[in-house]
Amino acid sequence: MKGALFLVAAIAVAALLLPPFLPWGYADIDWNAVRAAPFSSGHWLGTDSVGRDLLARTLAGTRVTLAVASAAALVALLIGTAWGAIAGWFGGRVDEAMMRVVDGLYALPFMFVVIVLMVVFGRSILLVFLGIGAVEWLTMARVVRGQVLALRHRPFILASEAAGAPTGAILRGHLLPNVAPVAIAYLMLTIPQVVMVESFLSFLGLGVQEPLTSLGILVHDGADDMDIAPLTLLVPGAVLVALVVALNRIGEGLRQRLAR
Amino acid sequence: MRAILLRRLATAIPTLFAVVLASFFLMRAAPGSPFDAERPLDAATRAALDHAYGLDRPLLEQLGRYLANLAQGDFGPSLVYKDFTVTALIAQGLPISLMLGGLALAVALMTGVSGGIAGALRPGGWSDRAVDFAASLAVALPGFVTGPVLALIFALWLNWLPVAGLNGPASLILPVIALALPVAGAVAKLTRTGLSETLAQDHVRTARARGLSPFAVLWRHALAPALIPVVSYLAPAAAGLLTGAVVIETVFGLPGLGRYFVQGALNRDYPLVMGVVILYAGLILFFNLIADLLYGLLDPRARG
Amino acid sequence: MTIYAVERLSLRIGDAAILHDIGFEVRRGACTALVGASGSGKSMSCFAPFGLAAGKASGSARLDGAELIGLDEPALRPLRARAGFAFQQPATALSPHLTIGRQLREAVVAGGAPSPDRRALAAMLDRVGIARPDARLDSWPHRLSGGERQRVMIAAAVAHDPILLVADEPTSALDAPLRHAILDLIDRLRQDGMAVLLVSHDLPLVALHADQVAVLQAGRVVESGAARQILSRPLTAETRALVAASPSLDTPGPALPPTGAPLLAAQGIDVTVAGRGWRAPQVTLVEDASFTIAEGEALALAGRSGSGKSTLARAVARLGPMTDGELRWRGEIVPGRDRMAAGFRKAVQPVFQDPVASLDPHWTVAASIAEPLRHLCPELDAAARAARVDALLEEVELGRGFADRRPAELSGGQAQRVAIARALAAGPELILLDEATSALDVLVAGRILSLLQRLQADRNLAILMITHDLAVARSLCHRLAVMEAGKIVEQGPFDRMLSTPGHPATRHLLGT
Repeated sequence: MKGALFLVAAIAVAALLLPPFLPWGYADIDWNAVRAAPFSSGHWLGTDSVGRDLLARTLAGTRVTLAVASAAALVALLIGTAWGAIAGWFGGRVDEAMMRVVDGLYALPFMFVVIVLMVVFGRSILLVFLGIGAVEWLTMARVVRGQVLALRHRPFILASEAAGAPTGAILRGHLLPNVAPVAIAYLMLTIPQVVMVESFLSFLGLGVQEPLTSLGILVHDGADDMDIAPLTLLVPGAVLVALVVALNRIGEGLRQRLAR
Repeated sequence: MRAILLRRLATAIPTLFAVVLASFFLMRAAPGSPFDAERPLDAATRAALDHAYGLDRPLLEQLGRYLANLAQGDFGPSLVYKDFTVTALIAQGLPISLMLGGLALAVALMTGVSGGIAGALRPGGWSDRAVDFAASLAVALPGFVTGPVLALIFALWLNWLPVAGLNGPASLILPVIALALPVAGAVAKLTRTGLSETLAQDHVRTARARGLSPFAVLWRHALAPALIPVVSYLAPAAAGLLTGAVVIETVFGLPGLGRYFVQGALNRDYPLVMGVVILYAGLILFFNLIADLLYGLLDPRARG
Repeated sequence: MTIYAVERLSLRIGDAAILHDIGFEVRRGACTALVGASGSGKSMSCFAPFGLAAGKASGSARLDGAELIGLDEPALRPLRARAGFAFQQPATALSPHLTIGRQLREAVVAGGAPSPDRRALAAMLDRVGIARPDARLDSWPHRLSGGERQRVMIAAAVAHDPILLVADEPTSALDAPLRHAILDLIDRLRQDGMAVLLVSHDLPLVALHADQVAVLQAGRVVESGAARQILSRPLTAETRALVAASPSLDTPGPALPPTGAPLLAAQGIDVTVAGRGWRAPQVTLVEDASFTIAEGEALALAGRSGSGKSTLARAVARLGPMTDGELRWRGEIVPGRDRMAAGFRKAVQPVFQDPVASLDPHWTVAASIAEPLRHLCPELDAAARAARVDALLEEVELGRGFADRRPAELSGGQAQRVAIARALAAGPELILLDEATSALDVLVAGRILSLLQRLQADRNLAILMITHDLAVARSLCHRLAVMEAGKIVEQGPFDRMLSTPGHPATRHLLGT
């Protein structure tokens, strides 16, 4: 887990801080170096089919992917926690009705809903993360609901009521601190999920639009050009996979630590 | 058992209906017309087109007609692939997608379950760590990365397999692997966790106390309860395979349903997109049903 | 003739020595019992020689002359099949996805016999007293009651006519009447010459059925000999503690403190809740229950699980739903759960069954104990609260050193003491004990019980005790109320209820 944390931190720091120090911006076109090889004409990783610096583009794409993923995961956290907490705390029929809705949504082909939304409302970055967040909250809602439901009937909550604690104090003092770690662990597991979804959409041309770029777009462009410049596929692909593996490790590590 | 199936159907049918309604109104609410994509049309031609496809009728009438046709398996005409009905396009693409998805699911289940067993039998051993590493990597390998990379290595560099198109079984190898990898990783992880939990349970000790061989203990007593999480994952896995197939078909140029869907989405071919979404929703609901049946088979307690 | 002999058995798990020089033997047709508190190593002593426990065993264990220690797994397997094992918790020790018939058949075949026909399988169930044995063959374990599952567990253990039956706590998951029935069943099996090795924490109970007893403590045999002799003249403190910890209804009850004026009166309490599912009918959990408790008086509310005793007690303590009825505290009507005043909260405090779940894992011991003080005694400042917490920790025999610990750093008994200290913090007049000792190890439960006896006398506490164990209840309670299916079917002075039980539910609890 330490290695994973270090990797994610390194990728994030590089994506955020490094670009100003590079000789080329991510949209700058170097007409003299189309499909340049690595370490030629000042392009460390070479250039793509129109002469844009691959390193600069990969860092810019990573930044967009991470930003979209964090925002969408936060949307999922907010909706999921609120939905799950209300269902779990009130229980009974409220719970049953709310969870039926979640079950129903689970049965939908997620990605297609997002794609349909993109097609219908046009392609905007706001819609990308709203759309993703709105479908990724389901698992969060289930997890939080399960946790709240289990806590709700724990004797220490009852003992707190017997100790005269008002409902607000029980929620703040007992419920929230016990739900938060689990929600955060699942937030960490949601982020890589969202990274994949965003890249998937961008790959299909339905996500982030030019001149912005993201890892999915880069993989797509690289795939078109892989016979001549394989690095344009391999570099963004490797960054994406490394990011998702490391984020998954962190999330799983957190969850296991909680289970103990 | 029958009660579970009935209850599942009782949620499945309204869900499917809601999908139809939601996608219908979403599509109609969309700004722009499917005919915008081409050259600007003069008003008369446009009105004629709208009339020909029934787009000038009141919304409810359009819905009513759509539902009536749907009940007869008719998804309407495609707006982009002129001269084709959506049903014909689906009939063309579905077998390819189903073959791709079915093969990928089979490969994923076989490698995933055997990998998970290999890991759980010697916790902490080298096989366990190797499986864990491979599975962690596999779940993070989206088809749109592995697809092109596999094509690059095995088709372009090594020249072993065809790079794209559908000619013979060899052309399915790379797409199936790319599609199966993330699912296989998830199945391996679920099997590994489920089995190591089950092996520590009391009833496994009872079986060992009877003097059974390790194989009999694993096969008869441990595996069924250990696979319950895998079965619960079956429906999400099916959904993942369907979505993954969209990309894989695009990457490998396979004329499956997913490619029609992407083309339809990019071209605002509403009837086509709606048809595919409804079909996919139906498929996923069907997989939920299968998962419930298997669940009852593995755990009699779930039969109520 | 000796069937199974264990000598100088030791067990190490990693660097930790778990068992030291254990020795006992089981003769043909006889029963030897290993008795001890949890963690004393009694189960390990049974399973380690057969390779069914973790760790490395040394010493000697001979089954019908064949040495078990030092054999590898393939060599142990046929020897395991010569014995039969009945594990505790039959709910988890039978495979959930296989029918009873399949598991029985497997046990027979694994023992080396040809596959039995259906009649033979049904006869095996019949032998352990299962009704309608033929129909039960196609049933799954979860469809059976706890007692039936234990019988099936034993039937599977003896299906291949082993020379030795090893039974690990076969009665601990069962209530009193079933315990005797299961032990009688094991006695019957012995008549055909089977040797029995029995593991239990309940010394008085097993001593009635075993020939030889070995008492274990911390991985050593501290006392062994003829069962009757050990029970009547225990030599070591450990044995005496075990005898005392499983109180029996046959001995006279303790002297209890005197009682005073009426404190709590519950009249016609009903609790109904919505059924599961959308149109499920309402479920009645408690119906028309009435009782009173006086100052310093202890009332036991007994019944089998699901009889509604916990629901009733929580309704009365205003910690659960109450649909109808009237509750008076010193003659005044107590308001509903959502309009509770600090006065009543202060007067009635609960202690729950699961000590670990009773404490918020994030809170220190001191914060948990101070919680009622913060809300119910606002006149106290932080320093006064801290002083109170220290005094309470002393009172429950933990000491102030525990103040900064968190629940994960406490044993079950310690956590229950903290929960008791929290219940006492605001100075209640009545405490609700909801199965407060039944989740604890036998010796720990005994010590918690004597702490409660002392507090009852020192503080003149009134007690409402929910329990399924009448012997435990009698060491605290003046009166007994028996519940069945949501109703109080009989109540009266404890000794009168014991000597002349009126209702069948009472007689069931007494095991008669």
